[in-house]
Amino acid sequence: MAEQTTTSNSTLKKGPFRKIRAEIDHFNTLTGKDRQRYVTDMLFNNAMYIIIVLAIIFIAIRVPSFVSLSSIVNIISLTASRLPIALGVAGCIVLAGTDISAGRAVGLAACIAGSLLTTANKIFPGMGVQPLPLVILIVIAVGALIGFVNGFCMAKFKLHPYIVTLSTQLILYGTILLYLKMGDNNGQTLSSLSEGYRNLVAGTLFTIGTVAVPRYVLYAIILAAVMWVIWNKTTLGKNMFAVGSNEEAANVSGVNVMRTIILVFVMAGIMYSITGFFEGARIASINGNTGFNYEADAIAACVIGGVSFVGGIGKISGIITGVLLLQIIFTGLNFLSVDQNILYIIKGLVILVACAIDMRKYLVRK
Amino acid sequence: MSEERHSETPELRGLYRHVNISVRTLDIIIVAGIAAMIILVVWSASGGGYSVRFDSRGGSDVPAQSVRYGEAVAEPAPPERNGYSFGGWYVDEAYSVPWDFQTNRVEGDLTLFARWIPDSQS
Repeated sequence: MAEQTTTSNSTLKKGPFRKIRAEIDHFNTLTGKDRQRYVTDMLFNNAMYIIIVLAIIFIAIRVPSFVSLSSIVNIISLTASRLPIALGVAGCIVLAGTDISAGRAVGLAACIAGSLLTTANKIFPGMGVQPLPLVILIVIAVGALIGFVNGFCMAKFKLHPYIVTLSTQLILYGTILLYLKMGDNNGQTLSSLSEGYRNLVAGTLFTIGTVAVPRYVLYAIILAAVMWVIWNKTTLGKNMFAVGSNEEAANVSGVNVMRTIILVFVMAGIMYSITGFFEGARIASINGNTGFNYEADAIAACVIGGVSFVGGIGKISGIITGVLLLQIIFTGLNFLSVDQNILYIIKGLVILVACAIDMRKYLVRK
Repeated sequence: MSEERHSETPELRGLYRHVNISVRTLDIIIVAGIAAMIILVVWSASGGGYSVRFDSRGGSDVPAQSVRYGEAVAEPAPPERNGYSFGGWYVDEAYSVPWDFQTNRVEGDLTLFARWIPDSQS
């Protein structure tokens, strides 16, 4: 019921206060049992946000340095570094699919970037630092190829996204390990990255006081803006939502379903490779584990941010909120010295609860 | 109430297609999941913090420490090894990043590696 109000309202005029006022008006028209149900729905639908806000308050009281300037800048930077992969995987989720190969695609992109932009090249002995634009193009091409393979298998053979991307994930992992064994490298961690590469990505954008904000924060904002335009202002974006909410209906109304699916996955692949390019310079040491499990974080962030597994539902602003909230909570748990092994269990529970809330919203809406 | 609401709603689509679950069950999952998260966090946060292990790489054993986030590691007595002299603690096995006990702070579980410099053979 709440959903209905918001939709009919947003067609009239947009604005957060108008929305809230309409909600209050709606609440006032309700009586007794309906009112109780409305409050229950509100609490359950926003359970994740309520818990996160409470957790932030709890952590800030226990460890005051959590809300210090350097900590906040750190959270924003980490959010920016994880945003592109989430923007990519969100498209796959809007198509009522998913992509669990994302993390390994990030890893492969980081390895390629690292191997071509190192001052002590062991993978290709004797080869110097390659020009940055060339490397960016190579990395993007590899990402696009991965996305194309995923999208093609899904669109052409109607394979389940989990099956396709699980196999891609393993193939990519093997490729990363073999790639790191090439030349004289023998599987070692890639480091001593070129100054130009590190500076381009992780150099200082500006400083607040003594805390430096890295450049990739700006790049993440640009990528989010580009994705917003693609999602909201282009035919591809409109087709993506149409295919996600009802593939047959989209097909009947003349949408090229296969092309849409492939393009969305190619776009996602490019986003993963950009994430990998950033991650390489950000952590400055790249190995076979780089990018491991990134897709889990990205998918969890999307679901928290309201990109639904139902398909055809999602907003860029929601994805940004999701990534930010997830980053805040995990940085916070780190400040509480919560065991890293337990973080995996908590991530699993976050995905489970977020999906339960997601399904609940859909079931209760009439 | 939840049964009645469930029957009125369309079938779940997308990745949830074929899922057959009532709103009531979902409510239980949400509450139980959140409760489990809170218990895990509180239980783990009240523990000793992150474990810092010392891999003495063939030298004498160095006991592990529990250190909370943002604190420094107490510098242990240097380990000993026959025929080698101790060359400090490093973050990685390749000995590229040394650990500075004065300035470095713990941000998670940590293993430090001992570096050994062979005594000059004469």
